Amino acid sequence: MQGLLSNRVGSQLVGSAVLFAVLVLGGLAYASGGAPARDILVTQMLINAIMVIGLQIYIGNTGVLSFGHMGFAAISGYAFALLATTVERKARIVPDVPLGLDGVSLNPLVAAAAAVVVTAVAGLVVGLGLARSGAKSGAVAATVITLALLFMVHEVGGAYADLTGGRNGISFSVGRGLDSRLWVYLGLIGAIVLARLFKSSRIGRMAQAAREDDLAARAMGINPARGQMVALLLSVAVVSVAASLRVFQLGSVAPSTFFFDYTLLTLVMLIVGGRNSIAGSVLGVALMTVVNETTRHLADVEIDGGPTDVLDIVLRPGLTDIVLGGSMLAFMIFRARGLIEDWEVDHWLRRRFSRRDATPTPVEAAPAPEPAQLSAAGITVDFGGFRALERAGLEASNLEVVGLIGPNGAGKTTLLNVVTGLVEAAEGSATLTEQSAGSPEVRPITGSEPFEVARAGLARTFQNLRLFPALTVRENVNIAALVASRHRPSGDRPTVEQLLVHAGLWELRDRRARELDYGNARRLELVRAAALAPIYILLDEPTSGMSNIESVAMIDEVRALASAVGAGVVVIDHDLAFITGVCDRIYCLDQGRVIAAGTPEEIHADPQVQAAYLGAAAITPHG
Amino acid sequence: MIDLLQSLIDGLGRGSIYALLALGIAVIFGVMHMVNFAHGELITVGAYVAFAVVVTAGWAWWAAAPLIFVAAVGTSVAIEFVAFRWVRGSSDFTMLLTSFAVHFLVQAIFVMTMGASVRSFPRPDWADRVWSVGDLNIQVIDVVVIGATAATMAVTVYLLQRTMFGISLRAAAEDFDAARLMGVRSNKVIRQAFILAGALAGIAAIFFLMRTGQARPTTGLSPLLKGILAAIIGGLGNMQGAVYGGLLLGVSEVLLRSWLPEDLVGITDGVVFALIALFFIFRPQGLLNVRSAERV
Repeated sequence: MQGLLSNRVGSQLVGSAVLFAVLVLGGLAYASGGAPARDILVTQMLINAIMVIGLQIYIGNTGVLSFGHMGFAAISGYAFALLATTVERKARIVPDVPLGLDGVSLNPLVAAAAAVVVTAVAGLVVGLGLARSGAKSGAVAATVITLALLFMVHEVGGAYADLTGGRNGISFSVGRGLDSRLWVYLGLIGAIVLARLFKSSRIGRMAQAAREDDLAARAMGINPARGQMVALLLSVAVVSVAASLRVFQLGSVAPSTFFFDYTLLTLVMLIVGGRNSIAGSVLGVALMTVVNETTRHLADVEIDGGPTDVLDIVLRPGLTDIVLGGSMLAFMIFRARGLIEDWEVDHWLRRRFSRRDATPTPVEAAPAPEPAQLSAAGITVDFGGFRALERAGLEASNLEVVGLIGPNGAGKTTLLNVVTGLVEAAEGSATLTEQSAGSPEVRPITGSEPFEVARAGLARTFQNLRLFPALTVRENVNIAALVASRHRPSGDRPTVEQLLVHAGLWELRDRRARELDYGNARRLELVRAAALAPIYILLDEPTSGMSNIESVAMIDEVRALASAVGAGVVVIDHDLAFITGVCDRIYCLDQGRVIAAGTPEEIHADPQVQAAYLGAAAITPHG
Repeated sequence: MIDLLQSLIDGLGRGSIYALLALGIAVIFGVMHMVNFAHGELITVGAYVAFAVVVTAGWAWWAAAPLIFVAAVGTSVAIEFVAFRWVRGSSDFTMLLTSFAVHFLVQAIFVMTMGASVRSFPRPDWADRVWSVGDLNIQVIDVVVIGATAATMAVTVYLLQRTMFGISLRAAAEDFDAARLMGVRSNKVIRQAFILAGALAGIAAIFFLMRTGQARPTTGLSPLLKGILAAIIGGLGNMQGAVYGGLLLGVSEVLLRSWLPEDLVGITDGVVFALIALFFIFRPQGLLNVRSAERV
């Protein structure tokens, strides 16, 4: 048992079972000895839980706010109803149904499976569109595309009566209806386990990294579109199962079954507990079900003495929606990440039952790597009318530390951005030459996506510091190691734990990155780049915002880390002392051009460099 | 040719309202980086004011119009004060959901207090009049809307270009931190942005309601969505683009309605959504926006 609980997947399965059991037993306890209406309520709650977990898989992992999931649910609901309804019933309510559906009547299970397939196809189409639109956390275009899906499905549902029964929808009864909850139970445990395993899967974690910082993720070799697509398809499949169950239970589907009201309800359930947590989703479902029921009863009490039934109809939906909308607003203002953020049951289980991490052994310097050469030449970049780079370039071997200096606006960061694929050059090219089996292999870099450049072995940091803020220190580094394990040649490289110890971050390993102070955050970004097992680490102003003493300490850290992973370094800075201390060779840029290159001493003595740095007066002392 | 001209006039009449809403959405996006999904509620509030003034109190339409305007401005400022002020600077996700929450909340308050059913009020009698010029049938209200929108835009352009308020607003939209360092007060400029957006929505509401003559809790939803689509078509945060986006959306809707085959006319809005989704897939940054790439 102990083994099961301390094992990663084992504890996740046990945690999922615990979640399932708590929700189901809570529901059963409420239903027992109550009116049949309670039974229906509990079934609805369990189905809502499947639906919300379906939303969690996409919205939680990618951070893309989708309003279209109820559109998928509607597609699925109609597909299920059309496939499962008896031929006689269909002849009565949708006599002109196309596609030969009038003669089809499937077993509900088969119908639900077919609905999943139909919805997944829709998911694939929408997903390709989302990827094309550059979907990322909080992206408005993505939200509007999903909203468009919701409205399109709603409109077609209302207007294309031959297929959908129009405004009245399709009502039916199949066999004895959903009289046993067995399928709901199976759907729920399946959804919980799937969502939990996905959250910790390789691709799930990469999606979360992109959610936290799209640009940093791409610079770490992650292709965000891939994780988003997988998350969407899984999510849509779970939503489809929930939709079929809901339609089965209601015995009908109409345009209003899956529209704004249900979107609001499920979204509130998702965010109240914590959209990044499966336990949070389940908690949100339970909590909002209780709140909704309480509101309903409150409305009942107020109405009991009332004169008409009209009031009753009016007040109820209004009041519950006020509570729902109010909860959503209150949570966004006071606790946008939800009650338990990204906590899971298995976190607690593992902490309780597994031994503490042993402090890893210190890093040993890596053996000298195969020689490699990074070359960029003739790079020209225009931003609108402004020429940021003019035939600039650099050469760097992976056995040295190369510096890029120059005044503000000289084009240093732009050159780095071209080399790492973030900015496209109008002219010029960059290549990476590696020794493979004794002969040099040249691969072009310009024209590649940033994640391809990262996978080729160029790891970078950012001037304005881009970590994955909600992830822990260790997970930040793990993400890079995960990419390295797939895309970098295997070799004797330090483990994530060793790198953390090396940088003095070991004690902070379970902190969230956003909680780190500035110096440690800089250090973490450096370690994360090193964990990619790169050929080069490219640093954009690693000492910006640091004191002199910290800058000096950073010199040693950069050198030590580079030798630990056997990588060359290209570093931008305007702190001359730092650059001189850390670099073997220096390039000086001014107004988009390379004006000097050489050893630190040569650069110091160069009159043009002095002019660029100190103004023309410095070299014409009496002029 | 006449048909095309007819569609153009009808489309500009529609599109003017979208343009006014889209401009307000763009102004708010500029200062808060938030897409305001609660913007349509200003029209809903206006609709119930119109109902109260025209039906309950029995006053004339010209008395209702200024009250609708005041209600829209007041609601806009109130929503900022109650909700948006507290999530300023949060993640895009949080702000998006906050504005949705306000949208649902206002709607639910109306469902509870006024009921979900439609309340109709009479429209001004000149609104239905048609001028026939040769083969053209020009609705009087279209002419009035286009004229009023043009006038509003002229005033707005003056405000944005020539007044301190406009300059602060544009500076804040360009770079909020820098603007603050230059002495722009964030509370003030954001409040002013919501006043301007509310005023634009108020004018849009007056003409929208003259056309529809209905109040219900979801009145604002359809114009809101069109306004947002227009703002995004124009390139979010681009004020000029928002206006073009609105007019373009109005004209394309009318053209689509006349071109679509019989069976599809019922779902024109659905087709519009499909086309716009396609548009966003290929140009997520909108028509005009050439905002420089994210700073790295």
